[in-house]
Amino acid sequence: MADRRPEEPEMSRAKRPRTDDPSQNPYLAHMYEAQDTSDYNGYNRSNGSGTKARTGLSDFKRHATTALQAHDAEDGPNNPFNNAPLSKQYFNILKTRRDLPVHKQRQEFLDMFHKSQILVFVGETGSGKTTQIPQFVLFDDLPHFSGKLVACTQPRRVAATSVAQRVANEMDVKLGDEVGYSIRFEDVSGPKTILKYMTDGMLLREAMHDHNLTRYSCIILDEAHERTLATDLLMGLLKEIALRRPDLKIVVMSATLDAQKFQRYFNDAPLLAVPGRTHPVEIFYTPEPERDYVEAALRTVLQIHATEPEGDILLFLTGEEEIEDACRKITLEADEMIREADAGPLKVYPLYGNLPPQQQQRIFEPAPPPTRPGGRPGRKVIVGTNVAETSLTIDGIVYVVDPGFSKQKVYNPRIRVESLLVSPISKASAQQRAGRAGRTRPGKCFRLYTEAAFKKELIEQTYPEILRSNLANTVLELKKLGVDDLVHFDLMDPPAPETLMRALEELNYLACLDDDGDLTALGKLASEFPLDPSLAVMLISSPEFYCSNEILSLTALLSVPQIFVRPASARKRADEMKALFAHPDGDHLTMLNVYHAFKGAEAQADPKRWCHEHFISLRALQSADNVRQQLKRIMEKSELDLVSTDFNDKDYYTNIRRALVAGFFMQVAKKDPSGKTYKTVKDDQSVLLHPSTVLGVDSEWVVYNEFVLTTKNYVRTVTAVRPEWLLDIAPTYYDLATFPKGEVRTALQRTLDKIKRKQAMKGGR
Amino acid sequence: MSTQDPMPSNGLEDEEDDYMNMVIAEPTKPREKETYTQRRLRKEREAEARGRVKSKAEQAADEAAAREAALSTSLFADPQTTTTNKGLAMMAKMGFKPGVALGSKVNSGARTEPIVISMKEDRGGIGLDSEKKRKFRVEVEQEGKRVKAEEGEYRERLRKEREEVRLEGQVGAAMRVAERLYAEKEEDSAQQDGTEDASSRRKISSKPLKQINVLWRGLVRKREEKERDRRMRYDLQQSLSRLPTYDDPDEDRDDRKALGKDRVQHTLVEDLEEEDPELDEFNSLDPAYRLEKLVRHLREEYHYCFWCKYTYPDQEMEGCPGLTEEEHD
Repeated sequence: MADRRPEEPEMSRAKRPRTDDPSQNPYLAHMYEAQDTSDYNGYNRSNGSGTKARTGLSDFKRHATTALQAHDAEDGPNNPFNNAPLSKQYFNILKTRRDLPVHKQRQEFLDMFHKSQILVFVGETGSGKTTQIPQFVLFDDLPHFSGKLVACTQPRRVAATSVAQRVANEMDVKLGDEVGYSIRFEDVSGPKTILKYMTDGMLLREAMHDHNLTRYSCIILDEAHERTLATDLLMGLLKEIALRRPDLKIVVMSATLDAQKFQRYFNDAPLLAVPGRTHPVEIFYTPEPERDYVEAALRTVLQIHATEPEGDILLFLTGEEEIEDACRKITLEADEMIREADAGPLKVYPLYGNLPPQQQQRIFEPAPPPTRPGGRPGRKVIVGTNVAETSLTIDGIVYVVDPGFSKQKVYNPRIRVESLLVSPISKASAQQRAGRAGRTRPGKCFRLYTEAAFKKELIEQTYPEILRSNLANTVLELKKLGVDDLVHFDLMDPPAPETLMRALEELNYLACLDDDGDLTALGKLASEFPLDPSLAVMLISSPEFYCSNEILSLTALLSVPQIFVRPASARKRADEMKALFAHPDGDHLTMLNVYHAFKGAEAQADPKRWCHEHFISLRALQSADNVRQQLKRIMEKSELDLVSTDFNDKDYYTNIRRALVAGFFMQVAKKDPSGKTYKTVKDDQSVLLHPSTVLGVDSEWVVYNEFVLTTKNYVRTVTAVRPEWLLDIAPTYYDLATFPKGEVRTALQRTLDKIKRKQAMKGGR
Repeated sequence: MSTQDPMPSNGLEDEEDDYMNMVIAEPTKPREKETYTQRRLRKEREAEARGRVKSKAEQAADEAAAREAALSTSLFADPQTTTTNKGLAMMAKMGFKPGVALGSKVNSGARTEPIVISMKEDRGGIGLDSEKKRKFRVEVEQEGKRVKAEEGEYRERLRKEREEVRLEGQVGAAMRVAERLYAEKEEDSAQQDGTEDASSRRKISSKPLKQINVLWRGLVRKREEKERDRRMRYDLQQSLSRLPTYDDPDEDRDDRKALGKDRVQHTLVEDLEEEDPELDEFNSLDPAYRLEKLVRHLREEYHYCFWCKYTYPDQEMEGCPGLTEEEHD
């Protein structure tokens, strides 16, 4: 294999969990921690007991502390949690921390925390709730004495990592020691960890193996108003766990909007509201609706730079491509302004979910200084998605430009289409965005729509993710979480019944659920993988097709953002480069070719240059590498063989394509006899192959990775398959009796007849 | 729908079933009654529709329509789903009934339908679409108003024209009456004078135009113009020499008389050629006004009511409802 050499160190790393230190494996962590906690229940942690005597927390009584006590402990001189001398930086930060609005209500918070099991905490952005409340809890809950942890969930990975870093600084500890974080494919926490910031998805995964979340003494759900799928599931789950575990404390934190809804949902839990420290934000509307919101946004940003006093700008756009494009254009225009109009320097930073962490951190860099002493002040512009809306606090933002759109994933069970569509934000969202301008001083928010449009066209609240998602994965998770009655599971916003039906149906076809709705062995195994069930099933079945190494790579590649880069300025060149990797049978194989080439010696010599030359996203490949490594560990743990067909074997690619069918047999389209269009099997929707495909239109049958809706119906990432494989690999789904009369059924019937004839002939001989 | 289709058919037609039903909405009548010709025609039409390659726009429209149709139909509405879907069967086991929302029973806000998908096709800002729609609506309204206004105007104009023509006719009639009554009066007075002669009529007509009352002078003028034209056409037909203005030096006075070339004729022609500002002014008046003047004149001079068509014996004109046409309705 081409990737033999570079894979060797990876192999040794991958073996580590088995041999050296299994507790380092994030997917195994729960097992070891659970074991640990049972040990700790009797005595204190060995090193902890030693520490306990010396720290400022030793005479604290759990769940009976006061703000004053905590205040004293914080004042040092030694770190109350590890007894190390506190640094100067610590005291500097401490001063600013005590200025935060939440600090004034610390006692009030503690009183309520003592009295109630579930508490709804409402704090506007800038109140300091995300960083401070978990620390308040630490000083009262004292999880290290009972060998437990405090978890604080974040909807986004960026937030989890950056907040953890911030809090580690505030507590004067090393990130990964007392304060850690855990996000998908990355766990920075250790045996000393008492406060763990984590994505809500990670906590959910832990709950699958530990239905009562026994590792934790307190769970803080932050940014609950964002209503991510995982947060919604966690809320439903915690509502049940709270009954089973009276000792578990739960804090649900939300921005002001819709706080009563949370209270009601948690059986009228007490509510504590802290005002945010926000400055007034002046809101400007456009007199007329904009023809092109991106153009209008760029114009507005440059206008602000030219005319408004010092202060950074935050622009909200919808997606990676749009953001990168906008960043380029703003930089170009600003350079001209600097040259010709003596404008101050302007630094532009993109911000979106798929950006690698180190790049995300760059948004916190201060604005550039004036180009010459006495010159006009510099400014930074952050062009971001919703990430910048709530979870991330960026100081210095004074101007917000809000075109009023975000990209929303909306799944529809009726034609099983999952798509990312640009759609208007909600009023609540618009308010959040405006609020970002008033963090440091009075700010301005430029809404690129009319006031009438704001009032009339925007919905009140954003639809929670659970209403917009394919629930196949969720159902699998819920089953694994021990929820059996999915119909009556008490969710804050239960999804449409048809969505649940589709999910159950799909899982049944994937053989993850039996006809009674119980998890099968395959289903249990699939739920181990942080993947969509179809991907998981494909991966699990891949050893049967002698290509698990390749499918593993492919699964990783399908789990990361687009690997091909196609800048507007060099489309032709990019397409030529892509053609180098093109495999005539489809995009999946093409992606695999890219990955193998990337792993080759030539590319590895200078990956950055190689990627740049070949119009490949290094970032995407690196994260695919990371994902691959993590998935590989799970495979090894699950004792799934990693095998490959010999590359020179004529079946090398055929096997991969067959394995694809094993997971994606429900995402198949057949070519229409009349022309270029395809019809999705069973749902009978007319689709086109996405223009980015390397596949010619002469393929009769294709599997697709996604069915996207834009102006047209597209299927993206497609590979040609043979109808015989469909009938062979997924006979239940391709039971002809279940098909409506039509082209697809007729074609399948022909194939079936052909197979029968062949078999008869063989039998005759 | 294809399963209910009674048409016995080969595989090819099966494939095209949906397609056909979209194009031709026909099979409402039972098939047995289809005659051979009908069948042949139908087959022809079907083949034609099948053979025609759809334009991109049509394809896109079909695609969107199929998508919208599928998106707006609940899965629970399909009998095949409700009977065979294993997902639904599992849900039923958990106590689900179609039409009821999921979740806790006390959660009243739970939805029963998936979120509607709407596609954004451009970079238009928020409110642009509705603004466009609003503008379009306003434009349509304005256009409608304009058309209506024009329509009204046109009708009004037509009405006016018709009215004018009618009034003009009445003016003509009134002029004729006035002329007749005037002639009768002249005749009466001549008879009374005893100086009547047979050519009294002729005298009227030979009277210089300008001496005729302007009220009906137009009528006389028109008649004389007509007469002149007729004559000129006639003369032209005869010969160049017969032109009324042609003075044949050989012709003597008697010849002239014999030929009917009276002096009068000449003056008449000259008369017609003369400018008549008084008449022009009168003619430029509104026909209704001219009519009114005539009617008034008739009443005052002859106690004749144009509307009653009756000559009253005295000035009181008892029995006549009034001056205007409306009063005579």
